[in-house]
Amino acid sequence: MTSRRPLLGWMLIAPSLIGVTCFLILPVVLAFVVSLFRWDLLGTRSFLGLDNYTSLLSDGALLNSLLVTALFTLISVPVSLAIGLVLATQLVRALPGSAVVRVIVVIPWVCAPLALGVVWKWILQPSVGALNQILGVRIEWLTDPSLALPAVAFVAIWQNVGYISLFFQAGLSRIPGSIYEAARIDGANAGQQLWFMTIPLLRPTTFFLAVTQVVASFQVFDMVFALTGGGPQRRTQVIASLIYDEAFGASRLGRASAVAVILFLLLVVITVVQHRWFSRRITYDMS
Amino acid sequence: MTANDRTPTGGHSGRSADERHGAPADVDTGPADGHVERRGRRTPRPGPRRRPLTGSLLARRVLGHGATYLVLIVAAVLTLGPFLFSVMTALTSTTQFAQQGPLSIPAPPVLENVVGLFTSPDGFVTPVAVTVQMVAVILVGQMVFSVLAAYAFAQLRFPGRDLLFWVYIATLMVPQVVVVVPLYLMLSEMGLRNTFWALVLPFVLGSPYAIFLLRENFRGIPSELMDAMRIDGAGTLRLLWHLVVPLNRPIIVTLVLITVVTHWNSFMWPMVITSGPEWRVITVATSALQSQYNNNWTLVMAGTTLAMLPLVILMVLFQKQITRSVGDATLR
Repeated sequence: MTSRRPLLGWMLIAPSLIGVTCFLILPVVLAFVVSLFRWDLLGTRSFLGLDNYTSLLSDGALLNSLLVTALFTLISVPVSLAIGLVLATQLVRALPGSAVVRVIVVIPWVCAPLALGVVWKWILQPSVGALNQILGVRIEWLTDPSLALPAVAFVAIWQNVGYISLFFQAGLSRIPGSIYEAARIDGANAGQQLWFMTIPLLRPTTFFLAVTQVVASFQVFDMVFALTGGGPQRRTQVIASLIYDEAFGASRLGRASAVAVILFLLLVVITVVQHRWFSRRITYDMS
Repeated sequence: MTANDRTPTGGHSGRSADERHGAPADVDTGPADGHVERRGRRTPRPGPRRRPLTGSLLARRVLGHGATYLVLIVAAVLTLGPFLFSVMTALTSTTQFAQQGPLSIPAPPVLENVVGLFTSPDGFVTPVAVTVQMVAVILVGQMVFSVLAAYAFAQLRFPGRDLLFWVYIATLMVPQVVVVVPLYLMLSEMGLRNTFWALVLPFVLGSPYAIFLLRENFRGIPSELMDAMRIDGAGTLRLLWHLVVPLNRPIIVTLVLITVVTHWNSFMWPMVITSGPEWRVITVATSALQSQYNNNWTLVMAGTTLAMLPLVILMVLFQKQITRSVGDATLR
């Protein structure tokens, strides 16, 4: 039973309420306001109405960032989920030695994306980079306009697969071994078991990962900043990079805020749509 | 009923997975007796069924394990490779690196890069100190204020509670990058730009995510225990410290680890709100090192190694808690 103590309740909540109000809610409101102004880092400002939005649309910067971010998401999320799942199915077999690998593959996840980005920037250097030296080639991984985004996505996948596999391992361990035994007796091979049993049974885990990974990849910044800084030719300028470049590179806080507002609305829509879509799918399967 | 139960908010993922276990077995065999029959048949003759198969079964087992080990080894090598390169380069002397390139094994391993990192005037001494202080202050603040709020949401009744909790949940959707410009303007207006307070203030008053996770756990505390302590005259703070916190140690350890990792690694906000070496955190220092000494990779790799090492050690020490934290995070 909960007890009725209004004053105490409000007192205990007060600090976090101040924090949430001042540092989460107020900034979102302020982002809407600032997006209506021409506003620079020195503080000079003038009201523009919706001009920031129209100029973002007309000069292609916003569209480019949306496309780059969408492409980054479309590459990195499905691939890292697929690899994470395969890795998890092998790790849950709990062979001798797999406990060590389980720890190893999660190490990149605890490291700063910024630091990992710098390490990979060095590995991917055209002349002194380790990768090209091993392969005996001279590929401009991060400065070739058509390779830069896939390279950045690859590094993101590399960082996340171990972490993703942890969730799949947890999901797999909740499936009782007895149903696999039954399937084996019925003559289902490993591929059939994976496709018809494991993947459907893991749908709650997959849903959770898909939502969190898509939302996270729409916010990616540190790794891109370290690897390419948004270049070459804006080919890796994700939404967060555009916000940063507009605000702190070009001193256009109004335009940056307009991008932030659009990103915020987009994330709300993505979260709601994904939720709807997945719950309908699951309901359908169960009926 | 089923539709509601399986709404995959993640919070139900554990339960719904359990519920669904039965489903495929029921569906493909129709009634459950098929299942029972199989079990019954299997038990009496394990011996005779295995023996004739031994040869091919053994081969298949080795092959199966071989494939598994191949996957595991490839995963381990690909994961560790970049770290190995990073450490190797950090221990290579500048001259050897220039002569023999990145794949050379440091002969002999030297500490000149690590030493250089700490002796140069814009080195890593200040960033390490600033980062440790920042993480410590944010950690203590977030834990204390989140525990207080979560307890109120879970165990007390007061007007506006449910609405307020819903608002907290909604703020989980607000990403850092959306608020970075307005936060910059606000803290600049307060005269806090390039101060320690600017680094910690937006985070120190508690986190909605932590409050949400803690509330879920605090709700499970048996009320008899709370009542017993109340009757003994314990105040709320004593109740929290001696009952609520000890009972929920696992989730609190998880949150401590998540908070340390998040803020040790945070980059965008510290970079934006500080300028110059005074309040530089370790990620910003690493980034600055890379752009400043563009081709001095041995020094830069010493910096990245140093930035990552503490958390890698933490990760290895607390591997069990981190693995378990995944289950807790799924509750989200």
